[in-house]
Amino acid sequence: MKRIGVFVCHCGINIAGTVDVERVAREAEKMPGVAFAMDYIYMCSEPGQLLVREKIKEEKLDAVIIAACSPNLHESTFRAAAEEAGLNPWQCEIANIREQCSWIHSDRKKATEKAIKIVGTIVGKIRLNESLEPISVSITKKALVIGGGIAGIQAALDIADSGYPVILVEKDSSIGGHMAQLSETFPTLDCSQCILTPKMVAVGKHPNITLMTYSEIEEVSGYVGNFKVKIRRKATSVNWSTCTGCGLCTEKCPAKVPSEFDRGLTTRGAIYVPFPQAVPNKPVIDRDNCIYYKTGKCKLCEKVCEIGAIDFDQEDLIIEEEIGAIITATGYETLPIADLPHYGAGEVPDVIDGLAFERILSASGPTTGEVRRPSDGMIPKEVVFVQCAGSRDPERFKPYCSKICCMYTTKHALLYKHRVHDGQPYVFYIDIRTGGKGYEEFYHNAEEEEGIVYLRGKVAKIFRDGDKTVVWGTDTLTGRNIEIAADLVVLATAIVPTESTAELANKLRIQTGPNGFLSEAHPKLRPVECINAGFFIAGVGQGPKDIPETVAQASGAACKVISLFSRDHLEQDPTVAWVDEDLCSGCRTCISVCPYDAREYDEEKEIVTVNEALCEGCGSCVAACSCGATQQRNLSDSQIKSMVTASLGGE
Amino acid sequence: MAKVAYYPGCALNERSSHLDRSARDATEILGFELDELESWTCCGAVPPVSKERIMNLIAPSRILKDVRDSGRDMLITICDFCYNTLKRTNFSIRNDDIIRKRVNAFLADDTPSRTYLEEDTTPWSDYEGEVKVVHLMEYLRDELGYAEITKKLKRSLKGLKIAPYYGCVMLRPFDEIQLDNPENPTIMEDFVRALEAEPVKYPYRTECCGSYLSVSSPDASTRLCYRILSSAMKNGADAIVVSCPLCFYNLDSRQKVVLDAYPDFKTIPVFYFTQLLSLALGVETDRQGFERHYVDVSPALEKIGNSGEGDKA
Repeated sequence: MKRIGVFVCHCGINIAGTVDVERVAREAEKMPGVAFAMDYIYMCSEPGQLLVREKIKEEKLDAVIIAACSPNLHESTFRAAAEEAGLNPWQCEIANIREQCSWIHSDRKKATEKAIKIVGTIVGKIRLNESLEPISVSITKKALVIGGGIAGIQAALDIADSGYPVILVEKDSSIGGHMAQLSETFPTLDCSQCILTPKMVAVGKHPNITLMTYSEIEEVSGYVGNFKVKIRRKATSVNWSTCTGCGLCTEKCPAKVPSEFDRGLTTRGAIYVPFPQAVPNKPVIDRDNCIYYKTGKCKLCEKVCEIGAIDFDQEDLIIEEEIGAIITATGYETLPIADLPHYGAGEVPDVIDGLAFERILSASGPTTGEVRRPSDGMIPKEVVFVQCAGSRDPERFKPYCSKICCMYTTKHALLYKHRVHDGQPYVFYIDIRTGGKGYEEFYHNAEEEEGIVYLRGKVAKIFRDGDKTVVWGTDTLTGRNIEIAADLVVLATAIVPTESTAELANKLRIQTGPNGFLSEAHPKLRPVECINAGFFIAGVGQGPKDIPETVAQASGAACKVISLFSRDHLEQDPTVAWVDEDLCSGCRTCISVCPYDAREYDEEKEIVTVNEALCEGCGSCVAACSCGATQQRNLSDSQIKSMVTASLGGE
Repeated sequence: MAKVAYYPGCALNERSSHLDRSARDATEILGFELDELESWTCCGAVPPVSKERIMNLIAPSRILKDVRDSGRDMLITICDFCYNTLKRTNFSIRNDDIIRKRVNAFLADDTPSRTYLEEDTTPWSDYEGEVKVVHLMEYLRDELGYAEITKKLKRSLKGLKIAPYYGCVMLRPFDEIQLDNPENPTIMEDFVRALEAEPVKYPYRTECCGSYLSVSSPDASTRLCYRILSSAMKNGADAIVVSCPLCFYNLDSRQKVVLDAYPDFKTIPVFYFTQLLSLALGVETDRQGFERHYVDVSPALEKIGNSGEGDKA
């Protein structure tokens, strides 16, 4: 019989605070097969790991159980330690007595009993564990980056610069994202487009980057190192390979559509380039608004295009690519003002959001940087900035802080004051949050030197009264209600994930959190990886953040991809399904239940085999197999039976 | 004719009985009868402004229990305050076990003294919020459908610009009332449109008129009423429509004081929604009790032709 060692971790007070760890060790020692048991304060520390290695040798252990935290955290740590001491890594198992026991219970006696049972189940399992070898799989050294904002741009450039090919997919016709819309950036006030466009051009020219704009992800299958991705290239209705980007068609188009790029402050044609610095600088026809597609008449763009690049019959193309790693950088939208009924529900023309004000401030914007309000073009003399419009409001809107608004509102008020010297900006805020290099100084200067009035309190209601926009708020520092008859109101609306994030996350099978942002594998230590291997995230799609943080995260994700590609083979967990060929009747039920297409019918042998590279070890086919031919390695029927027995208190 | 249990409440029973009459007239034309409860008391009208958790729920619970015990599952009110009181009482009883038990203990306790109800031999059972409390406007919107009203119009209100006034208690608190978006409601505007009049949207339509402050600090109420009324007029309204007798009192009668306090102020007629409804359905002008209004409504009536004869008839 195997000689099993059990090591019970205190995890400081994380486990020992609720579970009597010494007793767990004493009880474990009595379990059949257990030759040795002990407890230690931090099993994962170097001295803790050393203990495990020493005891394996001293006690001549054949298998070890670490009763500690979730296997997600330290299974690989302890398997490596076991291997160093000469054991097969699959003779090391984790008994999770933290997440599944001490953290969720408060009754010490009951928690201790439960911890003993959890250890018991793993003892029951490990007695029958086989020694396994990892499955080796090859890697396609090509990355996919989804989203062409600053996060996607940075990640694509970093990977491409290290020599690996990258496909950058963007749903709009140009890359650039929201950063291209911004006027100047805090806290240094450098022009956003000036620092962004060189990077956009670099993406367009990079020999290792294949840029696919106006494209969306259709389907993703496969696994780390070996994804198969279908990309839909939406019909642009313009032959981009011949189009010179002269812009004549966009000038002549008679349709008038509110410009998304200018936040509806200007209009564009149905054939359009979103902004002059677009990469690629090629137009697309927005078929929903094109007069020809709606009425069958017009084709003015076709008439003016001398090259004949307009192609009304173009169809969507599906392109299949083999990919090794995927970075998702889907970015954000802002909560529509229409969702804020107390702030005019989008019906008051001089209530705009922060991005619209960016366009008004921008030298390339609709007013060439002169501050003029949308309703009548007047230069506003009193401007109210409302922070947390939809953020930090768990009862009605979003519970979280949108993080960037304190800084960009300060920037807005400052830039406004610089352009309209006799104007008065007011800022309503809940708290001013200026964590970041140079941020507090920036705010301090704005408040102390620039005459911006900060009012601590929330705004209750905004409505139009004549040509004024009236703001009702409270100054909680003086306890007074405030009414301001403003000329313009700018709302710092909550940052929300893009509409397509949920659907895309579903296709990729990656996780999102309660507010729809993409979830990282660990909030502190694995901030750019998803739980699923081969998937990485960057930018505001993961949570509100500013440009420096976004760029840092994107470079981090790129480095993770580069480090993955630096290997020639990947090692995959061998605890997958296998088939007893003598028992398999070839009924193929397993094929219908496998979510990973890992089961294949062998015509010759008339049995169903397992593709070990595709199998994720989910166990669906094992449960579905009626004749018991399919088993999972190190999780056989007899192992499960002895685990159930142990969990019920039997032996 | 279909009958729906109806709770008039004190104001509509006494001081504003003409509004009660217009509601009965209108609903009869629409094909259902407001069937007044056999016996009822004041709803208390305090839960909206009181922090006491149990005592103020007893009276409204008793009313609701009587409705249930009479075998009916819906109760109509036409007063915002009664609606708010009854609906929130129901909400507490449905969602709070302790309140439900304590209120029922009180109700059980006072049963013996109610021997005047001769036929009350039903075995005791706790009131658990079975009755649905409905505002008449809500009934018209959800049960009858506004389109049905338009079909039966005898005298279109076309040409009249009407500013709906919601006040506070009809829509708030939203979690308990769930009638319409409290910040940007449409139920009254849609009602006005059903009568073929033009609704006027103005920023003060959901602001408080002062409510009971009218008694304790009338100046505050005067200021609030001035802001509401002048905002409606500034936005082009010929008249105001309300659905609460207290709002009606504040916005109509108080105009006398507003005139004294604000020299620039001009008066504007105020209608109860049931008056507009019954007018539009062809009920004679002289059944509306307009003589009891402080502000003369005839300028508004002239815009639609106040002959009393239906121009659609």
